[in-house]
Amino acid sequence: MYSEAVSVTDLVKRFGSFTAVDHVSFSVQSSEIFGFLGPNGAGKSTTIRMLCGIITPTSGSGHVSGFDILTESERIKRSIGYMSQKFSLYLDMTPMENIRFFLGIYEVPTNLWKECMEWVFHATRLESVRNRPTRELPPGWRQRLALGCALLHRPRLLFLDEPTSGVDPITRRHFWEFIRRLTGEGVTVFVTTHYMDEAKHCDRVVMIDVGKIVAMGRPSDIIRKALPDKPNADLNDAFVALMRRSTP
Amino acid sequence: MSFRKVAAIARKEYFHLIRDFRSLYLAFFIPFLLILLFGYALSLDVDRIPIAVVDHEHTPESRDLIRRLNASIYFDVVLYPESTAELTQHLDGNLAAMGIIIPPGLTADLKAEKDSPLQVILDGSDPNYAGNARAYITAVVGQWNKERLVTFLNRQGQEPVQAPVEARIRVWFNEELESKNFIVPGIVAIIIMIVGALLTSLVIAREYENGTMETIRSLPIRASEFFFGKAVCYWFITLVDVLVAILMGQVLFGVVMKSSFWLMILASMIYISVAISLGLLISIKTKSQLVANQMAILLTYLPSLLLSDFVFPQQNMPVFLKLVTRIIPATYYIDILNGLYLRHLSFLQMWQNFAVLAAMTGILLGLNIRALKKEGL
Repeated sequence: MYSEAVSVTDLVKRFGSFTAVDHVSFSVQSSEIFGFLGPNGAGKSTTIRMLCGIITPTSGSGHVSGFDILTESERIKRSIGYMSQKFSLYLDMTPMENIRFFLGIYEVPTNLWKECMEWVFHATRLESVRNRPTRELPPGWRQRLALGCALLHRPRLLFLDEPTSGVDPITRRHFWEFIRRLTGEGVTVFVTTHYMDEAKHCDRVVMIDVGKIVAMGRPSDIIRKALPDKPNADLNDAFVALMRRSTP
Repeated sequence: MSFRKVAAIARKEYFHLIRDFRSLYLAFFIPFLLILLFGYALSLDVDRIPIAVVDHEHTPESRDLIRRLNASIYFDVVLYPESTAELTQHLDGNLAAMGIIIPPGLTADLKAEKDSPLQVILDGSDPNYAGNARAYITAVVGQWNKERLVTFLNRQGQEPVQAPVEARIRVWFNEELESKNFIVPGIVAIIIMIVGALLTSLVIAREYENGTMETIRSLPIRASEFFFGKAVCYWFITLVDVLVAILMGQVLFGVVMKSSFWLMILASMIYISVAISLGLLISIKTKSQLVANQMAILLTYLPSLLLSDFVFPQQNMPVFLKLVTRIIPATYYIDILNGLYLRHLSFLQMWQNFAVLAAMTGILLGLNIRALKKEGL
């Protein structure tokens, strides 16, 4: 059993002459909330897509749930849950039909379907709209459905790409409570965000900018190290300070 | 490959289809419309050619000729202009496709056993039509000459003579020489391309446009599972369309297949697989419904219509185009259908066509799987 849910070394992804991710190394411990922070275009989505087996790294190596990211992408996909940045479920199908599609793809045994569905509808509070077309649901509800689908096969490792972008503050708070409960059940959560204030929910974070890691560790440690003389500083201040130092 | 995953994808595809008006319309209404349009409008038979006759004679001889023309199923004397100028107007106005001028003195010349020219003017705008019309008028005049000769000899008290050589023509394979007998099989081939390729060219492009391809990529789905899940629904729909087309051909046009029904189904199944693989490949490569749709029309529908021997005979094409026709799936399928509908051929006489279509299916399947793997499946 791996105690590290994710570990990558010198991960590089180039698209033509553009280097999106440049020699990134880090590891994620089991049942922690791991934040992947950085501004838009920093390489967060590219990294998460490499970890989920959607794209292959140009170079470097790594393991996710004990599977090699270069050669075992299908086993990785089977064992993780992934929610992409853009909502990408089928709008012409009802939540019920979307969920059944995921159950079929994850090959969940048919006798467990009912139980899985009830659990997901309960956890996402979508019971009342299960047979409404997804198109008619407000964005926040769709987001919960997407999360529900990613959790359907009870993965031990969950990847969330910008899960809170465009979501109202109340829904966002509910979301983080929910994530916290999941880690209490032993699920590891890997989450990317460009909201620095959300990092307070994370056990550990990696800060990334133009494809390179600029800081790593507990949020409080990062702040203290970056701005030792400012006790009231937050991650945003720390990030700006670190940026200034790295670009002379 | 997991059957359950294929089934899950096929089920999802079924929901998309029944909830998308455009797809339903393409799948069920267009084939119906096509068979009616092609069946009724596209007749390549040349008959009831409208003729205008300028009769300068008004003798029993000239009236005999006009009667003969009217009696033939190929001609219809519709106008009797008084002058050549008036005839020209009718031809210009497309009221008649052929003009016949019986010159003054024709009867006298005939009686005097002199050369008796009869002027025939043909509208050559449609060369195929004009060619047929020319052959028919030559035959009618020839027959008239022959009978006049026999009467003449009889009157002279001589034995009637037979022309030494007479071509006795028997038509094989399409005895009534009716074009609908090969148009109906041709429509079936076109319908399969439209439903099979045009419809499927949208289905993967749609996933890209809606962003759901990202979900598909993140799920444990193999390229082959995705391909078959996508294909299976449309495969069955196209097969249903084929059966409907065959039935309509029989009921509406009386085109009955003479050979094995099951051989026809086998050929259709392979050809449908080709069409669907082609449509899906276009869909993966273009990633846009609009572009995919146009590509599908350009690469599947038009060649099937124009180069497959359906409308334009391949024998008359230049060498380069003849080579192109060899890579068009419809060429082989229409050849099989003609073999089954008209020639009563057996599988052993046509196995090469089946083999080519099967090979095309295999190659296209391989290309699809490769393209999907490149997309991260």
